[in-house]
This record gives sequence, C-alpha cells and structure tokens, in this order.
Amino acid sequence: MKKKLSFLSVVLIAAIAVTACKKELKVNEPGNLVPKTVTEDASIPAFNINNTRLHGETFGNPVDPIVVMLHGGPGADYRSMLNAKALANDGYFVVFYDQRGSGLSAREDKNGYSLQLMLDDLTGVISHYRKSKDQKIFLLGHSWGAMLATAYVNSYPAAINGVILAEPGGFTWDQTSDYISRTKDLSLLSENSNDALYPDQLLTGKENDHEILDYKMAIVASFDSRKGNPLGIEGVYPFWRFGAVVQSALFEVARKDGFDWTTNLSQYKTKVLFCYSEFNKAYGLGHAQLLSSSYPNVQLEMIKGTGHEMFYFAWDTFYPIVKNYLNALR
Amino acid sequence: MKKIQCAIIIVTILMISKTSFAQQINWRNLNDLKPHIVNVQMGWDYSTVVGIGYGQKLRTTLPAVLNIEYSSPFGNDMFDDFKTKFGGQAEVLHMDNFSVTVKVYGVFRRYQNDLVRMASFGSEFSTNFGYYKTNWYVAGDIGFDKAIATNIRNSGEMKTFYPDIQDGWYVPTGGNFNLGIVSGYSFSSNDIYLKIGIHVTEDLRSTPSVPYYLQIGYNRRF
Repeated sequence: MKKKLSFLSVVLIAAIAVTACKKELKVNEPGNLVPKTVTEDASIPAFNINNTRLHGETFGNPVDPIVVMLHGGPGADYRSMLNAKALANDGYFVVFYDQRGSGLSAREDKNGYSLQLMLDDLTGVISHYRKSKDQKIFLLGHSWGAMLATAYVNSYPAAINGVILAEPGGFTWDQTSDYISRTKDLSLLSENSNDALYPDQLLTGKENDHEILDYKMAIVASFDSRKGNPLGIEGVYPFWRFGAVVQSALFEVARKDGFDWTTNLSQYKTKVLFCYSEFNKAYGLGHAQLLSSSYPNVQLEMIKGTGHEMFYFAWDTFYPIVKNYLNALR
Repeated sequence: MKKIQCAIIIVTILMISKTSFAQQINWRNLNDLKPHIVNVQMGWDYSTVVGIGYGQKLRTTLPAVLNIEYSSPFGNDMFDDFKTKFGGQAEVLHMDNFSVTVKVYGVFRRYQNDLVRMASFGSEFSTNFGYYKTNWYVAGDIGFDKAIATNIRNSGEMKTFYPDIQDGWYVPTGGNFNLGIVSGYSFSSNDIYLKIGIHVTEDLRSTPSVPYYLQIGYNRRF
C-alpha cells in the first residue's frame, strides 16, 4: 500500500512538473498579466505633458468647449467612462486621459507622486488641448476624479467654467476616510474578506514592481463589485489597468499630510452639478449635502436606479442631467 | 525552472515520507510512547482561517517530527481558497531549557475569485528559539514563506477586458517574512498554544493589507 501511494505521489508530481515546463512566465514582464503602458507600446494613443507620457483620447471638434474627464481611483482609468464621449455630438470636445501612474499612462517610482503633481498634470492637459483663451473648460469627475476636480477649482477657481462632480469621496481627509470606512464590507468570516486579503500570500511585489502590483489590485478590486456591495455597483465594469503604486503613494501622502480643498471654494460662484447615486449605501443625501455645502452655488441631483459606477451602468439616466447643465453654461 | 524543480523535489520527498503535523511542539513533552499528534487551530493568516493537522515523531537521534496541515479561510465556499503544508521540524539545538527548532515545509495554496484562479507551490522556512519547560514554553518565531511557482488562470471576464493576458506558470510570484512570538501550555497529553506576530513582504518595505498573524492551537498526543 505504501509503495503504491509513493508511486502515485511521484506520478502526480511528475505530471505537475511536465505541465510546469510548458510555460514559465515572469510576473513583471510587460504585457503578461497587465496591458503595456504608453512607454512600452507606441501604438497606444498618447501625449506628453509635464515630463510624463499620458494615455488619452479625444472626441469632437477641437475648437468646441472642452470637457475634461477625470477618472476615479486614484489608480483607476477612464475605460468605464467612455459613454461620455456622446457629449461630442452635443458640441463639446471631450478629453479623456489616464492620470499619471494609472491606466495605460506611464508609471513613476512611488516617491514621484504628489497631489500637487496631479493638479499640475491637469493644467498640462488643459494647456495641451486648449486652442484659445476663450475656449471654455469644464471638468467632469467621478469619485477620486471629482475630488481632483474640486482640488483644482479650489486652487484655480478662475480657470474652470463649470464642474460636474459624481460622488467625490471627500474634500478633506476626514470626510474621505469617513466615507471609505463606510464603503468596506469586510466581515471577518466572509468570502469577501478572503477574496480581498488572501492573495497577499501569493502575489507580492517591491514598491515599484508595477506589473504585479497593478495585477493584484485588479483582482482584489473585484471585491468592490460583488453582489450586495455597499457601493451599489451592479457588477464588474471594464478597466484597462489599475495603478497600484500611485494609489498607495497618494493615500500615504493624504494620511500623513491631510488635505482641505474647501478653503477657497466660496470664491467659485458658478453653479456646480453635484450628483450622487440612489443605491450607494455609503453615500446618500447626507454625505452629498455635507460635501456640496462647501460650494456656494450647487445643483444637487440623485441619479436613480444605480450605484457608484453611474457612468457605466446608468449613463442613459445621467447623460441628460449632464447635458442640460453643460448647455446652460456653454 | 530550477526553482520549480527544486520545489517539486522537496514536495515529492516530503509526500512520499510518512508525513505528519504539529506545527507548534513542546519538545520536552514529546516521547516515543505517544508519537502521534493531531492538531486543530484557528486564527488570522491573511484571512480568518481554521485548520487541522497530523504529526508523527520520528525515531531519530535528532528530535524530529514530520507534519501535514490543511487550513482554509471562512466564507461561503470552504474549498476555493486553502493552504496545505507538508514538511517537518527538528530540534537542532538543546542546551538546558534553551531550544532551537528549524522547520521546513512545502506549501500548496489555492485561491479563486470571479476574475482568477491561482494554484501555487511554495516553501516555508522558519525557526523557533526560546525557553522550554515540561509544561510551558515561550519562543521567538521567525520565518520566510515564498510562493515559488504559481499557475494563474484568468476568467473569461478578465480576458474580455484584456484579451492578451497570459495564463500559465509564473515564477516566482511573492514572498513574505514573519516575525512573532509563540507560547504554549502542556498538560497530560495536551498542548494549547498561542502564536502572534507580523508579516512583512520580502522587500522589507511594505506589508500585506492586514500585516498580522494570530494562531490559537490545540495538540493531542497519543
């Protein structure tokens, strides 16, 4: 009996060894587990600003009013926001870009990211596409992108002609950390916890090993869209590539230094469109009112029948509200 | 490829031996009259886990035990994520009540969610060093756990998002150090123990999402 078991063990291991010999891959080889970035694949649409190379696309007439799309994260990408390119048919020049270190844009070392750099990049993007000083600039931000839009308005209120904010986490670190704590549904005994935390023993990388860290972030991020998630997200939504290092870097900066992007918002008299979703249990009217009250002139709207990913799952409901707001200001 | 072959050789040797388990052992209480050890444990090991194990003391000059262990996190599906260990431990130094134990394990892990299924072969090397009396002990716990070769199979959904993604064997995929303390109490043929510590990733600059481990265990010797 012992000999039989030993023989079977050897056969099993030999079979595994043969399988293993078929293909041996490196986690940090560009393209294996995550798509190549603009620095590794010249065919990806890209542009250079502020000493970096960003993945980006535009839709519409370049002389029309510009709508700059700001994706969430930090570290997500604009793929799930592409429904908004429909605004090009309404007379807007729609600019999508993956922020520094996110999506298919170039990666930097962890110590190369700062909140100010993200604002400087946005200034660079606007300058890159703006054809004249009279061309109006609108920002359309989702989640972290809406926080970035507010940080930008707070710093440069005269530079922006209108802002649409879709569920920004917070305008101060306290508001943001409070919101984040409500978005996590990590019961110690749940399958969700396993899915989010168990890979920590299988996939690890040094702090600038972008490929494996981005891949790990992708498979763990699916946790946010599981059935019954507090954000009310209907399911998995499309993405290109997460930016784990930029997310980690910006969170560390925020935790260490804090931030308050409300100090100058009272000067921004233009009406702001502030949207929140019906099914995001972590958000709600209370959080929307708390945040939007920092702006003196707000149109507060609930997007019905959807959760946090309203650009992808409820664009048909969201779109007319966005369009009407922009048309009133163009 | 050499790393895969090395891991497979280690696992093979361990599997065809009389494998056994008792992850924490009070050597002062172990004898040839009761060479078998069964173990149950639970705690935090990258998730809330529960595990079982079996061990057998070898009739060798150097005190040694061969182990096998299975643990799985809680959740709806107890078998989509799990970890097994095959290996052994030996007391390599014994001076009065001071003792040093070296442990070597082959590790097989599985993980699955909506986007990926991973099966991984790895190794775990660790040492306990401390003060052992007949009915209690306290020791330091240092180790390194490496995922040497991991088979990654991405779901159809993942391939929809990125069609060129490569399924296959990735070498290596990760590694974590652990540093902690373990203490146990022995009575008649029973041991209870508590192990607590921190995990640090192999670059020593970052940590897992929850960088702690905790294990409460019970051994029965017979």
